[in-house]
Amino acid sequence: MAKEMKMTKVEDNSAGTRVKRGVLTVVINFFLWFFSLTCIFPLIWMLYSSLKEKRVFNADIMGLPKEPTLVNYTKILSNKDYRLMQSVTNSARTTILSVLLIVLIAFIVGYILARINFALNKPLYVMFLMGMLIPIHSLMVPIYIIFSKMGLSNHWYTLLLPYVSFALPMSIFLVQGYVKGIPTELEEAAAIDGSTFSKTLFGIILPVCKPILVTVAIINVFSCWNEFSFALILIKDRALYTVPLGLKQFTGQFTSDYPKIMAAMLITMAPIVIFYFAFSKQIIKGMVAGAVKG
Amino acid sequence: MLKSIKPKKWVVAAYLAVPVALYVFTVFAPLVAALFYSFFEWKGGPVKTFNGLANYTQLIHDEVFWSAFWHNIFLVLVCIIGQIGIAFIVVLLINSKVTKLQGIHRTFGFFPSTISAVCIGFIWQMIYDSKRGLLNYFLEAIGRDDLKKVWLNEPSLVMLLVSIPLIWQFIGYYMVILLSAVSSISTEVLESAEIDGATGIQRARYIVLPLIKNTLLVCITLCVAGNMKAFDNIYVMTAGGPGYSSMVMAMYGYKVSFEQSNLGYGSCISVGIFVLALAVIGGSQVLMNYFMTDSYDRNERKHLKQIEKERKQAIKNRKANA
Repeated sequence: MAKEMKMTKVEDNSAGTRVKRGVLTVVINFFLWFFSLTCIFPLIWMLYSSLKEKRVFNADIMGLPKEPTLVNYTKILSNKDYRLMQSVTNSARTTILSVLLIVLIAFIVGYILARINFALNKPLYVMFLMGMLIPIHSLMVPIYIIFSKMGLSNHWYTLLLPYVSFALPMSIFLVQGYVKGIPTELEEAAAIDGSTFSKTLFGIILPVCKPILVTVAIINVFSCWNEFSFALILIKDRALYTVPLGLKQFTGQFTSDYPKIMAAMLITMAPIVIFYFAFSKQIIKGMVAGAVKG
Repeated sequence: MLKSIKPKKWVVAAYLAVPVALYVFTVFAPLVAALFYSFFEWKGGPVKTFNGLANYTQLIHDEVFWSAFWHNIFLVLVCIIGQIGIAFIVVLLINSKVTKLQGIHRTFGFFPSTISAVCIGFIWQMIYDSKRGLLNYFLEAIGRDDLKKVWLNEPSLVMLLVSIPLIWQFIGYYMVILLSAVSSISTEVLESAEIDGATGIQRARYIVLPLIKNTLLVCITLCVAGNMKAFDNIYVMTAGGPGYSSMVMAMYGYKVSFEQSNLGYGSCISVGIFVLALAVIGGSQVLMNYFMTDSYDRNERKHLKQIEKERKQAIKNRKANA
């Protein structure tokens, strides 16, 4: 800080540098705002356009609504055929259950692989790690075949299986790396006090691992909420549609009624957008940790 | 590894049984299944006929599949340049001293990465729409009506048009990754370079870039893997059309398997996707390691030679002056 101040003082001596600096400030900030606004613009555009009627929107796609109306929202929410709120609850249930299972399983497996010495330790570790390399879209067709043969398609739990499995490699890897950094004294002390393996695992290690488990949860909340391709092939029952599938029905059917589609998108995006803007700092930190270490 | 504590074997086994079973069932069993069914002629009905390698010979001569593969490669290249390149520039700008409200730029920039590809697809469909689209609206606003088009119907443009949403969506993702790497560079290094008179571009090229090399490699790997599995956006925006001009591998596999219900050939395509995606990811790793170390070494050597030359020149000059 002190250094910076000293440097600015030195540069402030010449008027030319000051002007140059000022221009640079304006240019850089202008570009950054341009970038940020292009990122956020669709959200804003959808927010105010969804308050327009179709007729008004088609006449002027950019203008602000002169007579804001909630008619698009009421139409979508009152029409039973769309089942949009149902898709939101389906997605919420799938996401919450998947994330809980991912965190629990990744914690247990990650801990065991990091700490317990047994013959299958290395092979299991390699097996889970290999999962990170497998291009999961090559599994779409065979998973469809297996699931429909075994009657696993079209249930409330169907999507939990692929979502949890595909998230495990990265999550286990993160937990395993984290546990390795914890001193073993903790567990040794617990063992001397007569704590069983399970008690140590959930009573002592779990609280210590909280930061990495939060990271694991954050990474997977978004991927589970937004996942599309496996939901597309495994769920045919409209009562079980998740959010991306619920939105898919708007292709073709209403291609001309954009305000209505926007309203539908905003309703389904709302939980995740609110979650993001409320915790953006932690979320970004978690995503970075996941990407760089994974 | 713990030495003092040895939990009973059955306890460990009990904890591992369900996760391992689940994982093998959803990841490895399908791989084997795909391989198995790829040797059959099977249209989804009860009849399956073994036809040996016929599916594979068909795959090798299937022009649609190979053009889909090249479309994937196109996406990979465009996105590496677009996503990581733009992200790097944005990171440099955000990190400059004169930038205000860095947190807001980061939050806004990352936002598109958090919404579903289906939404992104819809949004960009609205932008490209011929009658009510933003793109044509702007062309009209700047008085270039002649450039207006039914954008997604142009076979020659469509790959570029579907890659723009992909780039746009993930700039923020690579931005936050690179940002965390750049902010871990000690400010002293940068400041001393500044005092020595290095311009912003020189600092970016000779200090920041080499120091975040490893993070860049991670980004490129993520980018390659991500674009080999492109599916959602394209499904929503064009479904591979017009014709096959925006077809990618996963989309083609989906079409063959579920729209033509040709599950035998679909399985074969899945095996093809698996092999090709692994090959491209592995190949890119090898290429990157070779290329990156090599080019930096080469530059380093060139740089050292340059310094040596200058030093000798200086000595000569001094001697001449004396």
